[in-house]
Amino acid sequence: MTETERIEAAAERIAAQGASAPVLGRDPVNQAMVNTWTEAIGDANPVYTDADFAASSVHHGLVAPPAMAQVWTMRGLHGTRAEDDPLGAMMLALDEEGFTSVVATNSSQTYHRYLRPGEHVAASNRLENVVGPKQTALGEGWFVTTRTTWTVGDEVVAEMTFRVLKFRPSAKQAAAPEGARIIDAPEYSDGVLRPVISLDTAFFWEGTQVGELRIQRWGDTLRHPPGPVDPGGDLDVKPDYIVARGTGTVYSYVVHHHPKVPGKRLPFVVALVELDEGVRVLGELIDVDPDEVAIGLPVRAVFLRIDDELTLPAWEVVR
Amino acid sequence: MSISGQAAIVGIGATEFSKDSGRSELRLASEAVRAALADAGLEPADVDGLVTFTMDANAEIAVARELGIGELRFFSRIGYGGGAAAATVQQAAMAVATGTADVVVAYRAFNERSGHRFGQVSTAAAQQVNTSGIDNSFTYPMGIATPAATVAMLARRYLHDYGASSEDFGRVAVIDRANAATNPNAWFHGKPITLDDHQASRWIAEPLRLLDCCQESDGGVALVIVRAERARELAHPPAVVRAAAQGSGPDQYVMTSYYRDDLASLPEMNVVGRELWRQADLRPSDVDVAVLYDHFTPYVLLQLEELGFCGRGEAKDFIADGMLELDGSLPLNPHGGQLGEAYIHGMNGIAEGVRQLRGTAANQVAGTDTVMITAGTGVPTSGLVLTSS
Amino acid sequence: MIGTTLPPMTIHATPTFVISTALATRDFQDVHHARDAAVARGSKDIFVNILTDNGLVQRFVTDWAGPEALVRSIDIQLGVPCYAYDTLTFTGTVTDRVTVDGELRYVIEVTGKGDLGDHVRGTVHIALPEVTS
Repeated sequence: MTETERIEAAAERIAAQGASAPVLGRDPVNQAMVNTWTEAIGDANPVYTDADFAASSVHHGLVAPPAMAQVWTMRGLHGTRAEDDPLGAMMLALDEEGFTSVVATNSSQTYHRYLRPGEHVAASNRLENVVGPKQTALGEGWFVTTRTTWTVGDEVVAEMTFRVLKFRPSAKQAAAPEGARIIDAPEYSDGVLRPVISLDTAFFWEGTQVGELRIQRWGDTLRHPPGPVDPGGDLDVKPDYIVARGTGTVYSYVVHHHPKVPGKRLPFVVALVELDEGVRVLGELIDVDPDEVAIGLPVRAVFLRIDDELTLPAWEVVR
Repeated sequence: MSISGQAAIVGIGATEFSKDSGRSELRLASEAVRAALADAGLEPADVDGLVTFTMDANAEIAVARELGIGELRFFSRIGYGGGAAAATVQQAAMAVATGTADVVVAYRAFNERSGHRFGQVSTAAAQQVNTSGIDNSFTYPMGIATPAATVAMLARRYLHDYGASSEDFGRVAVIDRANAATNPNAWFHGKPITLDDHQASRWIAEPLRLLDCCQESDGGVALVIVRAERARELAHPPAVVRAAAQGSGPDQYVMTSYYRDDLASLPEMNVVGRELWRQADLRPSDVDVAVLYDHFTPYVLLQLEELGFCGRGEAKDFIADGMLELDGSLPLNPHGGQLGEAYIHGMNGIAEGVRQLRGTAANQVAGTDTVMITAGTGVPTSGLVLTSS
Repeated sequence: MIGTTLPPMTIHATPTFVISTALATRDFQDVHHARDAAVARGSKDIFVNILTDNGLVQRFVTDWAGPEALVRSIDIQLGVPCYAYDTLTFTGTVTDRVTVDGELRYVIEVTGKGDLGDHVRGTVHIALPEVTS
């Protein structure tokens, strides 16, 4: 089976198991946690904390913030998932395929009624669907959607559809990019043309020094070469960057024969590479017979360390 | 109001085209401007405006001092290398049409072969401390460091996308050199080439061969522009500026617009073309002679497509059918172009357009009434339509 | 009521804010309280968790609607992360009203924008006692 088939089979199996047995929260709804929560969030609504106000309110007594529904059944610092928890099983299945990172993307909660101190809430989960693989700004991943039902006794008090992206971290997600090849190349240093670096491009050149091919990101939009303004035109937002996986294919290329270029040995190949992430990046294609190069050739990023100040991005053929 | 028909080129002048002029660039500029004024029947004292390229090393005031041009009321420079050529005429036309100036001279002069050669790697270009230097930092250090290499990247993709070949590029060089062979002012006068010569020439930046790349030249060219009414009082039949346009495309870089969805295109020339057709109210079939910027052969194919002379990817068939030869439907670069005559940053092509309208060209195309001329390709660029009335 | 714009709410996501809200929502994942761990996982800093976004959206709406407004649902979608030291600005508009189980509810579209762009976009349904009674 392919990776995708294995994941889809696991999803089908886990979804077929249906809802997990309800698990009670660590503690009943209680004022101490409500106070901690409202203070941290900065919510001054007196129906949660002022007994006199709450008694005369539409609630006729203190209630818990509805947005705390999920809090009551969080596992806590040392909690473990129930064995039949479908989200845990699906996460494990994706971990095994290398999709090891997770980020929440959607939460849709419905509150059937407000909860009161002393009520003990239980949660039951089932797997709704698993969709992928998708290319995202974070890396390739699967969207996993679960459905949670909260009950007090037999009464359903709240429900939630929750979606996470379980993704294979691009190089940036690792402390040091695994497999990034930094090649000491002092022989390139003789007269090499050094980049002019601006506030907008410094992150790129800092990245090459540590073996990272950094691509500017504005919200969900990747941009290379980088610049100072959001492609959407919003002057109030700032960019960050992803570390590209470094793999892509040759979109076009030049075999340079004449004249001599400082820091290069003739002839040499320069490739405009379309990265898997979808942007084009230019670099020398090293260790290759020019006759072997063709549009569509798979390559991966390497880094030519010229000296302490300059590391150039480059490519090598994926063999 | 439109610029169309408001101004005319009434004087053209040039130095000899050589590989080693033996004199300063300011001397070349001065000679070219003097020759252009003499051609127009005007004196330096008549000049009140000067226009050139930002890349030109001769300040307007230096040229004015040397020639005894007293007061200047208008001076202007256009950026982006050879993309400036036709735009210098556009600037001059706008100046005389608005009464900002009466007699404007556009000039370009350099020792591009014996002095600073553009075909070599320019550390200064790579490391200029401005946005162009920052742009160049994503190409020069990686090895795309000469004009030929910047064009080769796009040319490779063009070959791939449209099934064209090196021979298709070579046919442009053969046409230019055939025309130069019969133009006494051309550097390659008497030296035609064959397609086999082209195919046998060495690689510069694959897929570009030596004979895909224009020569490097020393020399200067100047053009005199006045209002159309005044032009009719002067010595030569005027070359009326029927349309004059600049163009820059989306996601534009200088020679390295590598990040557009469609790499094998010149959208900046498409902007110029659309504007020229609109201003002149003409269609491609109305053009008698095309002077297309030919520093590298592949961009002639792309220009034919962007300007609408043929469909996208069809330029190779258009050329192979003989359309661009002197007896074809769209004679190309009768002076020999920059590959054959000289590389004066496109300004010698404008002078050729004027000669074709006057009927005085070395390779005269009979009955020429309408000439289209383009400026540098791969950069923000410009173009002209000149007509005889 | 429809078309009413809510007064904006600004949140300075200090490290203390990020950590205290994570712990108050019983979320002990290290990316919400341990900077080194967050950086090692590829983030530039610790960042706000989704349970806090639910809380902020609830607060933003009831700060405007009043203490007795009844929150019936909160549907949010996350955009770019809200890292420590970012500033979040919530804006919202009443866009519709619907009747569910005989109860009139107002629909409020909410956006929480951070330094990197939209951090959270959501839809909240509330009922107002004076309208329902």
